Amino acid sequence: MKFHGTRVLLSALKYITIGVFILWVLIPVAWVVSLAFKPYAEWRVSYFVPKNFTWNNFIVLFKSEAFIGIMGATAIVEPVTKPLINSLVVTSLSTIMAVMIGFFTAYGASRYNTPGPFGLFFTLLTRMLPPATFVTPIMVYYSNLKLLDTHFSLIILYSAVTVTYGIWILKGFIDAIPIEWEEAAMLEGATPIKTLFKVVLPIARPGLVVAGLFIFLLTWTELLFALVLTNVYAVTLPVHISKYVGAVGQLYGPQAALALIGSVIPIAIGYAIQKHLVTGFTFGMVRG
Amino acid sequence: MPEKPPREIKYLATLPVNILLNAVLIIPFAIMIYLAFLKWSPAMGMNWWEAPITGLTNFARALGDARFITALSRTTIYTVSVVTIEFFLGLALAYIMLGDFVGKKAAIAITIYPLMLPPVVVATIFYLMFQSYGPVNNLFLRAIIGEDALRIYWFLKPDTAFITLLIADIWQWTPFMFLIMYSALSAVPKRLVEAAEVLGASSFTIFWKVRLPLIKPLIIVALVLRGLEAFKMFDYAFIMTGGGPGTTTETVSMYIYRTAILYTDISYAAAMSLMILAMIIVVVRAFIWYFFEKGR
Amino acid sequence: MGEVNKSRRLFLTALGTTVVGIGIGYAIGYLSKPAEMVERTITSTVTKTVTATPGVTPPPVGLSGAATRALEGVRDLLNRGVIKPGTTIKILHVAGSRAQLERAIELWGQYVPEVNVELITLGQEPDVYTKAMAEAVTKAGTFDIVTIFSTWLGDIVEAGLAKSLDEYYVKYDPEYTGPCAPIEPLGSYVTIYKGKRYSVVLDSDVFTLSYRKDLIENPTYKNEFRAQYGKDLKVPDTWEDLIDMAEFFYNKNLTAPSGGRVYGAYFYAEPAFAAYITWLNIFIEAGGIPFDLETMDPKVDTPEGRYAFDIMLGLRPYMPPEAITAGWADLYDKFIKGETVFTAAWPSLTKEAMRPTSLVKDVAGSALLPGVIVNGKLVRAAPNPVNWVGVISNYSKYPELSYLFLQFATAPDIGLDVILSGVILDLFRECWFKDPAYRPKSAEGYGEEFIDVYMESLRISFPDILIRGGPEYLSKLTTEVNSVMAGIKDPEVALNDVSAEWDSITKKYGVDTQLEAWRGLAQLFPDDVKDVWRAKGYMK
Repeated sequence: MKFHGTRVLLSALKYITIGVFILWVLIPVAWVVSLAFKPYAEWRVSYFVPKNFTWNNFIVLFKSEAFIGIMGATAIVEPVTKPLINSLVVTSLSTIMAVMIGFFTAYGASRYNTPGPFGLFFTLLTRMLPPATFVTPIMVYYSNLKLLDTHFSLIILYSAVTVTYGIWILKGFIDAIPIEWEEAAMLEGATPIKTLFKVVLPIARPGLVVAGLFIFLLTWTELLFALVLTNVYAVTLPVHISKYVGAVGQLYGPQAALALIGSVIPIAIGYAIQKHLVTGFTFGMVRG
Repeated sequence: MPEKPPREIKYLATLPVNILLNAVLIIPFAIMIYLAFLKWSPAMGMNWWEAPITGLTNFARALGDARFITALSRTTIYTVSVVTIEFFLGLALAYIMLGDFVGKKAAIAITIYPLMLPPVVVATIFYLMFQSYGPVNNLFLRAIIGEDALRIYWFLKPDTAFITLLIADIWQWTPFMFLIMYSALSAVPKRLVEAAEVLGASSFTIFWKVRLPLIKPLIIVALVLRGLEAFKMFDYAFIMTGGGPGTTTETVSMYIYRTAILYTDISYAAAMSLMILAMIIVVVRAFIWYFFEKGR
Repeated sequence: MGEVNKSRRLFLTALGTTVVGIGIGYAIGYLSKPAEMVERTITSTVTKTVTATPGVTPPPVGLSGAATRALEGVRDLLNRGVIKPGTTIKILHVAGSRAQLERAIELWGQYVPEVNVELITLGQEPDVYTKAMAEAVTKAGTFDIVTIFSTWLGDIVEAGLAKSLDEYYVKYDPEYTGPCAPIEPLGSYVTIYKGKRYSVVLDSDVFTLSYRKDLIENPTYKNEFRAQYGKDLKVPDTWEDLIDMAEFFYNKNLTAPSGGRVYGAYFYAEPAFAAYITWLNIFIEAGGIPFDLETMDPKVDTPEGRYAFDIMLGLRPYMPPEAITAGWADLYDKFIKGETVFTAAWPSLTKEAMRPTSLVKDVAGSALLPGVIVNGKLVRAAPNPVNWVGVISNYSKYPELSYLFLQFATAPDIGLDVILSGVILDLFRECWFKDPAYRPKSAEGYGEEFIDVYMESLRISFPDILIRGGPEYLSKLTTEVNSVMAGIKDPEVALNDVSAEWDSITKKYGVDTQLEAWRGLAQLFPDDVKDVWRAKGYMK
């Protein structure tokens, strides 16, 4: 009896805790949502529900001329469709690249200690530098290669700076996969490469998914390098959000609206990949 | 496994990453290192390859720069605080959400939502929320402590301003820890857990002696990665407090940004970055050595 | 052996996939360019039946001298083959000026359809600075014209990016003298650096005092104020007067139209950028000089500097805390909601206050900023922070053509049209305030009362410290002012720190070159200020 009671109590506690945390997450999100539907006069208030609900902030994302003359608005910027597409292309491709290269490197590092203790650590370097100083050298380098304002330059830059996430997260996952599986496979005549793809890859799937999701999110929201390296053609979503500035400062409404739109794709991915976060295989298992 | 990798694996595991990093990052990095030894800023009107080399003066200057040192210590405190809190919160949440329950998919999707928003947007949101006219004071705190809440000006005092930054970071990045912990925890074999339960172990013992050790590598990874990012925090301070009041919430990344971009003192900024890099390398190396390799 | 070949193939496949992935990205980037090029170019709609054959086009009729000369210059370049039809010039600018620049391009296209003008729009002002300085380093030719803040002029010129424009000024005469010239001293101090012209005036950004007329003119309050303070409630002459009035209204605890509390005053004290404006305003009016004209020593740790802090700290109790913590836009927001009695900002504040949705739209008044009494005389000076000017890149392939576009876009007639099409670029030519041909339009855009006040403000305006290192000097001043206002530092200590920091900046660039620039700039300050400097012995 007591056991059952404790169960119920724990269960209730569990739901309450989850509920509280969800609330904590949702409150600022609710603020974003409310801003997206509020007119200028209501951006700096304390209440959530707009008194004058408006779609203007979303309209302005596609037709900014329609916004001129309304309080706060002065800037005309391009519609958001291009930056959205740019972001999608750049982020997807660089994520795939970073995860793939990360996976290969992590495997070698985990099983064979390539490229050596210092080499692996070296990849962390890319995340250790405050980006501000790195910006000017990158600009100089890219402009000499005539790579400014291209999708290509962003893709390889983002891959290069996020590949370390792929490597380290995947190494963590691969480390915990028992070697016996691969040994068995190779004993049965599979080549190392085949083993890699047919045995290790599926087991490491949750690692790929976590690394991929996180790299995607990092790249999707990256601002500084995109700002400096793009002008017109390869402008990404975060750069575009920064353009909504009017005579009275930041246009919080359109920025919130665009942030919402921009979060739809990542959240869809986040929702869809959930079953892949959990693996069919498990750590530490030896047989069966 | 044979100690030496088969050739194909060796190439796969080293060539792509080498090509990528070298082609993209080595030359700019080399430029940056060179800049740190110069006395140069674009406003001097000469090209950077013509500028005089001054050796270690920039580094010496950084060591004597009070604003730099304070920013460093402040950023360290910030990093340790947020990473610790996020780790425990993320771990606890991941553990709680392990089993199946009603609305789990939606709950997880919501939990990781903060990661989907650009940090600048999150910073803007918290900026608005913590203003004296915002909901934190007028709705939430007022309900708890009454009218006194209206007299709290978060951004006016260094301590409260610092707290707002912590809150913004924790809100946005706990999901990162959660994701990694959740994925790691769910990979712990059910068999082992069930075996321990049968043997009469309490949930706590199972957690401490079975699950935790198995996911240790990923915990380390998560801590290191999050620590590196937290140390570079820029957006929250820049947008919410402007480094203020005065420079009391200026993170080291923000000071370097201002130095490089606003004061165009790129050489000095490069030198500071390199010093930070050296420090971080030492710390992380020690950290990883202690947890990863000593264990083996 | 076969196995090794198979693995090699697999490895090569993996490698190939990566390469292909990169290739796809590159292809997308390459392919998307030409398509965008067509969209982005703001080509003009030719509304007149003007044939596009160079040399045959009839000369423009009825335009101002400056515009005509600019167009004729372009024609000449086209005829001589120096410029080919279809040439494109690119302007790097900030989103807020887009409406106005697009209007300029539209008008340009009516006369010069052969030359396209493309806009590279950035979101925030600092991005323009970053990109401009990056261009100074990479010399990539990314743009021909860039709109910059006057504050950056020294940096941009010394970095080698700004082309010297003296020869064009002489050759084409943009009408910088005469009844339609940009009002002095602004016309000079935002364009001249070390004695030479490097920019074209696009805008003016002088501060004026904005206030709630309904409260100041309220008879009940007037009586109460007279009884309490022994003087009249009116637009204040001195800062001390303003403090008294701010105290008066703050203590009344009035409710604003927005429902919030009414504060007596709101002057910039925030840490990110604007705190220096208020301090510098009072400092200059009190007769302070930022740097010694003989030695370039900072002269902020002086009675004038301390006085500026006295006033600011005197205002503090009656200002909202956001003045110290929030960004510059918060000042606008509070005034528009009627929550501030006295405030000061750029002309855009007046325009925003005039909008139908503004809660102070019928009661917002404009006046000159209060002054300081020096040697028995009331000295007024108005700050001109971050003024937009147009600069031609030294790495542009079409410098003369670019200059002609700027001259055209800022000509007396075209320029007014351009300015009235948007918000962030404001009036600067004298005839726009006085000439009956132009004044009605200006009045319509800004309000009758404002343009008279503004014209006067322009005459007493002084520049940012726009010598090289300007942004750094002012940024350091801002953080120190903010520290004092937030109660973290003593004014004395702060002034000391500012001195030390300014000194190190000067030494970084070289005392001689900074002194040369400063001497040049000091000469361009308004006469009232220079008189006080001479009286105090700061200037000969």
